[in-house]
Amino acid sequence: MIAVGALLHAKQLSRSPFEIATALIVPVVQATLAVYLFRAGGEPGRLLEAAVGAGLMGVWSSVLFGSGGAIQNQRWQGTLEMIMLAPRPPALVVLPITLATALTGTYAMVATLAWGRLLYGIPLTFAHPLAFAVAVPGCIIGLGMFGLLLASTFVLLRNANALTNTLEYPIWLVSGMLVPITALPGWTGPIAAVLPTTWGARAVREAATGSGPTWPSLGICLAISLACLALGAIMMTHVERRARAAATLALA
Amino acid sequence: MTALLRLIGVGGVIAYRALFNWTTPAMFVGTLLVGPLFQLLFFAYLGRQLGVADDGFYITGNAVLAASLACVFGGTMAVSNERRFGTLGHVLLSPRSRTAVFLGRVLPYAANGLLIAVTTLTAASLLLGLRVPVDALPGLLLTLAVAALACGFFGLTLGAIGLRFRDVWLVSNVSVALLLLLTGVNVPAAGLPAWMRVTGELLPITHAAEAARRLVAGEGFGAAAPPLAAELAIAVGYAVLAATLLKLFEAESRRRASLDTL
Repeated sequence: MIAVGALLHAKQLSRSPFEIATALIVPVVQATLAVYLFRAGGEPGRLLEAAVGAGLMGVWSSVLFGSGGAIQNQRWQGTLEMIMLAPRPPALVVLPITLATALTGTYAMVATLAWGRLLYGIPLTFAHPLAFAVAVPGCIIGLGMFGLLLASTFVLLRNANALTNTLEYPIWLVSGMLVPITALPGWTGPIAAVLPTTWGARAVREAATGSGPTWPSLGICLAISLACLALGAIMMTHVERRARAAATLALA
Repeated sequence: MTALLRLIGVGGVIAYRALFNWTTPAMFVGTLLVGPLFQLLFFAYLGRQLGVADDGFYITGNAVLAASLACVFGGTMAVSNERRFGTLGHVLLSPRSRTAVFLGRVLPYAANGLLIAVTTLTAASLLLGLRVPVDALPGLLLTLAVAALACGFFGLTLGAIGLRFRDVWLVSNVSVALLLLLTGVNVPAAGLPAWMRVTGELLPITHAAEAARRLVAGEGFGAAAPPLAAELAIAVGYAVLAATLLKLFEAESRRRASLDTL
């Protein structure tokens, strides 16, 4: 049910020219910016890292905006009541949506890698190709599970959009998607350590560049994501019951 | 003349309140004040780590750029939301000058952008320890105001394009992303290919960022005046382009009966 649901929602998201164009063009602009920054900084050997990092930034943006607005979007489409009426736990109904947002985020990763290869001649020679092939989907599944926690949290907040708009750059920064965590102030370390984005980005980077063992980072990413999934499921059940009791499911 | 100024000023403020309706105080602070500050910090730390330029380069450049988010999207909304809310026809039926109506709408967004840029510059200077010479402050304020105005007219141009093309928000999103790349705010202009530099010179922010950097470096208003004049010329250029496109697309929309087609 999760797989079919994720595929259905991914197809639906992929029907929107706005979503697709934004998912493709904006990360490519960011990848170009990263490439010129790394070149200006005398780090041409790290261009693959820049392209991968920009792709991960795109995945996070997709999860953040997609999952953050998952419930609200269903509400606007008039389908929220129907999916909540399904004889399944609400988390199982919403998880495919958040997984789909992470899946469509892979467009960004594909776009930045293809752009880097075709335009800047960045060799796509991954240090551990097999690990990379596992780490990217692993990271995406992890972020999709984290998305459920976002979706259930944001639905409780009246001004969730404000939080969504604010969280894009901080997570890019703290998770070390382009800026190494060691370059940040020490107090950001504990925040980074509990974010699945940090470990997911690290696993993908380690697989791409060979800077470390991929599997421990990927394992930690998935472990934290599973904890987020459990927490998100509990919150989603609580939110659903509260909305049913107060008859506010359809109200923004 | 008073009536025209009233149309531009009061009309602009009323439209701002009506069309900027998604904003709540929390959203305003989160999206328009905190968001640009984190953007600045992201690039400051990235630049610091790569050794591309010092903090001053990123703080000043990104503070100027901070105005763009509100101004570009605001300018776009000033036109596009009229159509979205079904009131565009009423505006275009008005016997008053539509050029004045629409150009006046940019002013509140530019004021908004100025507030955001000043807040971002102040907060980032305090956080990262940038010292701005006191005698540079009036010039810096003027520079930020001109940058905000230029971005507002740039946004209005995009909004005008929205009268003709459906996906104006896509155009706005991509434009804001391109401003990050092409204006030399984050990558020194010397590090960009010639065509990107030339394109950047035709965009808002590029010259204002240069002027602001000269002022912060203590070079004085005399040194900042040429790029500031260039930014002003860019602002006027986009204002003229926006007015022309609005006129052109209004006539086209009437002819094709596509005014309210979304």
